[in-house]
Amino acid sequence: MIPDVLLATGAALLQAGGMLAVAPLLKTLIKKMKARLQNRQGPPLWQGYYDLAKLLRKEPVRSETASWVFVAGPRVYFAAAVAATTLVPVLIAAAPLEAAGGILLLVGTLALGRFALATAALDTGSPFGGMGASRDMTIAALAEPALLLGLFASALAVGTMNLGALVRTLLEQEPAWHPSDFLAFAGLFIIVIAETGRIPVDNPATHLELTMIHEAMVLEYSGPDLALVEWASAVKELLYLTLLANLFMPIGIALRAEPVALAIALVAWAGKVFLLAVAVTVVESTNAKLRLFRVPELVSVSLGLAFLALAIRFL
Amino acid sequence: MRELVAIGLPAAFAVRLLTIAATMLLVRRAQTCRWTSMLGSIAASILTMTVALTVITTGQPVAGLLMRHVASSIVFDYAVTPLSAWFLMVLGLIGIPIAVYSIAYFAHAIAAPRTALVGSAFNVLLGSVEAVFVANGIITFLCAWEVMTLATAALVATEHQELASRGAAFLYLVMSHVGTGCLVVGFLVLAAHAGSLSFPDLLSGEVVSGTLRQGVFLLFFVGFGVKAGVIPMHVWLPEAHPAAPSSVSALMSAVLITAGIYGLYRFCGFGLGVPDQRWALAFMIVGMLSAILGVLYALTQTDLKRLLAYSTIENSGIIVLGLGAAMMALAHRQPILAAVAVAASLMHVLNHGVFKGLLFLGAGSVVMATGTRDVEHMGGLLKRMPKTGLYFLIGALAISGVPMLNGFPSEWLTFQALLLGFTSTPGVVRLAFPIAAGLLALTSALAATCFVRAFGISFLALPRSTAAAGARESPMLMLAPQAWLAALCLVLGLFPGAVLRALEGVVVSLPGLRTAAPMTAGALGMAPALSAFDRVVPGVFAIVVLGALIAAALLTAFRKTAMRRAPTWACGGVLTARTEYTATAFSKPLLMIFESIYRPMRQVDAVTEVSPYYPAEVRYREQIEPTFERYLYTPLVRLVMRGAKGMRVLQAGSLHTYLAYVLVLAVILLVWLGGTT
Repeated sequence: MIPDVLLATGAALLQAGGMLAVAPLLKTLIKKMKARLQNRQGPPLWQGYYDLAKLLRKEPVRSETASWVFVAGPRVYFAAAVAATTLVPVLIAAAPLEAAGGILLLVGTLALGRFALATAALDTGSPFGGMGASRDMTIAALAEPALLLGLFASALAVGTMNLGALVRTLLEQEPAWHPSDFLAFAGLFIIVIAETGRIPVDNPATHLELTMIHEAMVLEYSGPDLALVEWASAVKELLYLTLLANLFMPIGIALRAEPVALAIALVAWAGKVFLLAVAVTVVESTNAKLRLFRVPELVSVSLGLAFLALAIRFL
Repeated sequence: MRELVAIGLPAAFAVRLLTIAATMLLVRRAQTCRWTSMLGSIAASILTMTVALTVITTGQPVAGLLMRHVASSIVFDYAVTPLSAWFLMVLGLIGIPIAVYSIAYFAHAIAAPRTALVGSAFNVLLGSVEAVFVANGIITFLCAWEVMTLATAALVATEHQELASRGAAFLYLVMSHVGTGCLVVGFLVLAAHAGSLSFPDLLSGEVVSGTLRQGVFLLFFVGFGVKAGVIPMHVWLPEAHPAAPSSVSALMSAVLITAGIYGLYRFCGFGLGVPDQRWALAFMIVGMLSAILGVLYALTQTDLKRLLAYSTIENSGIIVLGLGAAMMALAHRQPILAAVAVAASLMHVLNHGVFKGLLFLGAGSVVMATGTRDVEHMGGLLKRMPKTGLYFLIGALAISGVPMLNGFPSEWLTFQALLLGFTSTPGVVRLAFPIAAGLLALTSALAATCFVRAFGISFLALPRSTAAAGARESPMLMLAPQAWLAALCLVLGLFPGAVLRALEGVVVSLPGLRTAAPMTAGALGMAPALSAFDRVVPGVFAIVVLGALIAAALLTAFRKTAMRRAPTWACGGVLTARTEYTATAFSKPLLMIFESIYRPMRQVDAVTEVSPYYPAEVRYREQIEPTFERYLYTPLVRLVMRGAKGMRVLQAGSLHTYLAYVLVLAVILLVWLGGTT
């Protein structure tokens, strides 16, 4: 019993640490690829780490109007994102904390982080914070059912809601893609774009009052507080891409913790996440940002796809 | 112990009656009266809770006699079945903190001469709800049901000098009595066929069949649906709940609606034999409709108590949705799935009671401190009322279904029931399950939005009025019950396995339900169907989140520079409450997205003095269309009024005509009876 607990703790620490370590790289990578597509040089690949290191050392400036909720917001957001990584299988076909919960706990945990950050955004009295919180919660409210239905579609096909068991079963089965997988993937990809604040839903590069969503919400943060928000957002993005990669392309995932298998799994995972990052970059570079009130249409497309995926799989 | 449990319930009723009498006698001494009534209520609640907990843990029902009227051979007897015990336990668990809160709250909220009235009505209400839960026959049940309705109406009309309160009480009385009318007819039909007035005979499931069974179901559905506050029978709820004093609102939202839910369980779900698939579908549709429309209406409210009342409709919908899923499973002979759905629904009864009680008590403190129910006039309260704010935040997180608090486990269980239902029900009707799951996900996400708004706008940033700026923290007696309920939110959220273990006995006591294996996973977690399908252990996950929080604290601890305070950037101007985002603005995007449901009406008037380009004042008014009132109730009321006008012909006011009616009736009866014998 006790070795099991120690093993899970160790795996959870490793996985959370690994995701934290890689996440800034992914963010810079997308920035870099985007710059290349626009014939710019783009930042060096380590820029994400430099930014975080600098922010963590700076003095935090906090609003006179704000209360402890403002301080708690980024910390809970960060903790939720990091804790969520322990529920998802990354390299091995098992999640470190899969005994604690599955899909519903994962989505709930991310909702906790969002709740904390949106509440904190209302604390400074700045109209931007309120605007950002309102828009972020609006889009999240519409995206969450589509996200859950999309995940349900793949989970019910296998008969488990546990992400570790899900990937294990996928690996044991004959690799065969059902049409519903394509629909669910398309639906979830749209949601990943929406949840990570990418064009066409939100523009991570803008600070223009009328168009920003996530950036408006965190406008008042500085120094280490901002570093936590940025880092957690990067971890969330990596988490979503990993989820997409491992649920729909479970190739190369190690069944056991053996060095060779782990090395293959690492390469396979990096490759899959890279491919998805390229897809995100291309979408972001070739589309214009949607007007806020067109976003529901996009999300309802995803909802429709997820529902169809469920329907054609079981009817 | 056994003897104590056997007399526990009659003793509780005796304590209530004595308390009411004492309260009435102390009418001139408001303070003593308040303490007496509430302490008496607490004592009675402790007694009923003891009985309830014993029944839940042992699984043995407790029955007995309250009163027998020999001449008319009417018997008032009670039976605490495990299902009754569950509802009784929830009532006690929430009734006790509400009573403690009321000791201090009534001192501020209720005029001294009315204390005796409100204090005794409070006891009458709790006693009658207890009687509803344990009644074992039609007479006891209907008497308790009617007393419950009247006591609530009296409490809603506490501020009877206000037109709105009188209107709310009237609407509540009318709708409740339409419901009670349906119940009376339903019970009479059952009693006539069973030849008995006692519930075990009536609810054996084989009393009526065919069309009559459908009719009785419909009568019970409407009758109990009104009390449960499900859409479309909900219109009284958002009027009546806010009108009552806040602690009574808490009682109404947290436990009074469960009287309706209890009825739906006992009589619709498990009293008329194996449910029809159509009934299950009706329950699921009504549940989904209530959940989604309830939260959508809650989102746009600026009156804090109305917002909470609409959210009660939402949660009532989730409870009914779970029951509907259970009935669907029973209709398809799936006893294990039905057990999961019932567990989900009954657990939500408890969880909703706890967090909604907490939120209403918090709202009561806020309203007392600021003198307004409008969130647009609050703001900055967290600094002025730090404890109330913290407890309200915990309640807001819980109601949003965030893991590690108690809204999550019951929503999680409901999802389990819906997903398992989808995989194990045959036919096209199974598509109802993923639609319900999608709508439940939308509901819970919208609830999070709604409560970010409710907490953020009222407690954070700058005060939006002088009243809010001068708000003071509530007294200890009002804070302690909130702290207790907030702690319950955490405990129930972290250790749902313990709740589920207690609930299992209740679930299997219902006819047709069965569990294959324990629904719990270890001591702390839940795995209702099969451990391989899904399990959740929030207590363990909480340790991970705590670890991550510590990591975040360590990461930010390395810097050498100190924190600096600066004013919020207000685009070069001065930051005032006027520049803050308002609650109306916060929910505006969703209002526009769901325009086809809200059908909002806007009116913008610019008052100009010199030139149209420089308005001196802009007036903005927005209203969402009261769909059900306009398209369902207005025509209905018109129909009833027309009928009543037609009946006026009979009421000529002349004694001779009335005597003629009696004569005609007597002749008809004689002819009819003569024909039959």
